[in-house]
Amino acid sequence: MTPLLKAWSLYARWTARYPAVRSIVPFIPLVALWAIVAESELFPRAFFPGPLDVVRSFGTLVYKGILPDYLEDSIVRLAVGTAAGIALGIPLGVLVGLSPRAHALLWPILLFFQAIGDIAWLPILLIWFGFSLTTMTIVIVYTVLFPVVLNTALGVRSVPLELHRAAQSLGASRARIVWEVVLPGALPNIMTGLRNGLGYGWRALIAAEIIVGTSGIGFLMFDARRAGSVVEILLGMIVLGLLWYIVDGWVLAPIERATGERWGLVTR
Amino acid sequence: MKRLVLRDLSKTYFDPYAGAHVTAVQEVSLEVQQGEFVSIVGPSGCGKTTLLNMIAGFIPASGGEILLDGRAVDGPGPERGVVFQSFALFPWKTVLDNVAFGPKIRGLSKAECERIAREYLALAGLAHAADRYPNELSGGMQQRVGVVRALANNPDVLLMDEPFASVDAQTRMTLQEELTRIWQERRPTIIFITHDVGEAVFLANRVVVLSKGRILKEIAVPLPRPRAWDLLTEDAAFKALSGQVLQLVRSA
Repeated sequence: MTPLLKAWSLYARWTARYPAVRSIVPFIPLVALWAIVAESELFPRAFFPGPLDVVRSFGTLVYKGILPDYLEDSIVRLAVGTAAGIALGIPLGVLVGLSPRAHALLWPILLFFQAIGDIAWLPILLIWFGFSLTTMTIVIVYTVLFPVVLNTALGVRSVPLELHRAAQSLGASRARIVWEVVLPGALPNIMTGLRNGLGYGWRALIAAEIIVGTSGIGFLMFDARRAGSVVEILLGMIVLGLLWYIVDGWVLAPIERATGERWGLVTR
Repeated sequence: MKRLVLRDLSKTYFDPYAGAHVTAVQEVSLEVQQGEFVSIVGPSGCGKTTLLNMIAGFIPASGGEILLDGRAVDGPGPERGVVFQSFALFPWKTVLDNVAFGPKIRGLSKAECERIAREYLALAGLAHAADRYPNELSGGMQQRVGVVRALANNPDVLLMDEPFASVDAQTRMTLQEELTRIWQERRPTIIFITHDVGEAVFLANRVVVLSKGRILKEIAVPLPRPRAWDLLTEDAAFKALSGQVLQLVRSA
């Protein structure tokens, strides 16, 4: 009993000092299980490599400079696509959320095009723009756009009428109300849209990279398939998961903590 | 003198459930002088909130007119400050920024906005809470912020819509006493909507009893100030006035 207790108190102390530990610990049994299955040679090694093989391959690919290059390509594509998606999506969402006329006009169109999944656009985009960066960017923008627009509109409509009235009777103009009341009030929903959009965008990017295929993490994985390198495919998958973890932990969650949660709009 | 004049003010709207037109406010005429404190009291459904929303400019009148300083009211404006029952503070602004919002919209410098906000926060005993967010405050403190946020904009009329209805009874009495103190210090024109007869009499110079969208009676309240619940609860004049208003409200 004592060693268990000791381990627990150690864990408690470490998570208190380094919160990051908390997000690493759950993976320990997972990785251990993976290692055990791999070491047991239940499956041929080439089909089911262990964690160490993946780490080794990580080292090699970083050393050769392939992984950093591809990673950069993927991240830049996602960042550019997301930025464009946000720049288009938030104003559109505010418009649809505020104006009943714009809502009546645009909502059916938005729903229609939302249903045509990002990847469903690839065939026609490939004909129009070929295997190019344009194709990939359009797919990502498209994917990010809808969750952002729909959630922004929802957030705009959820701002209580009283807050509009309070701002009006303090002398605020319409434009001022959008900036000071509507946008901050809709921010928790906008963040949800962004979170979904980024998640979908990330997936769409991998799919686009597999099909368009010149560089990037998706290309890395698909290329590895051609070479029959399960290690590299696994590595690609792990990189995807880790990257999302980083985006969530270093970008999205801090914004949410500093805004909606701080303001009491979202309960933790 | 900036007078507020309501002339034959009416509001009818279509009730889709009843399938008929409903009259919420019917030919209400009222004059409020600058610096006056008027309570409008009545049972729920008497049209008092509709009346206030029209004065605030949130909803258009169906008939009659509202004149402030001789000018017709058309839509909301900063010369008519509003205090809401739900407080309606901006959750994403600190207490200081909430109070500074009006001056900021008027285009005053940052330093000037902050000076005004701090002055009014001190008036409400909230200097220590300047950097907190509204959700970190109690209901009573939030409504103090709501009151000074409206006052800091220096409105000609302060419209208060059952502002103390959603705080506990003890806090409510404190807030009422504070409001009378602030009124005595600054002399804003106040129209105060409530269903609480004691509150209406305690606060105002004049109580207007509203019933079924019409003014039933106006009653002057010549009680001396400063007013405090300790003194007034057993005061014969206060009891007589409250009794009179209560009877009117109940007969309504």
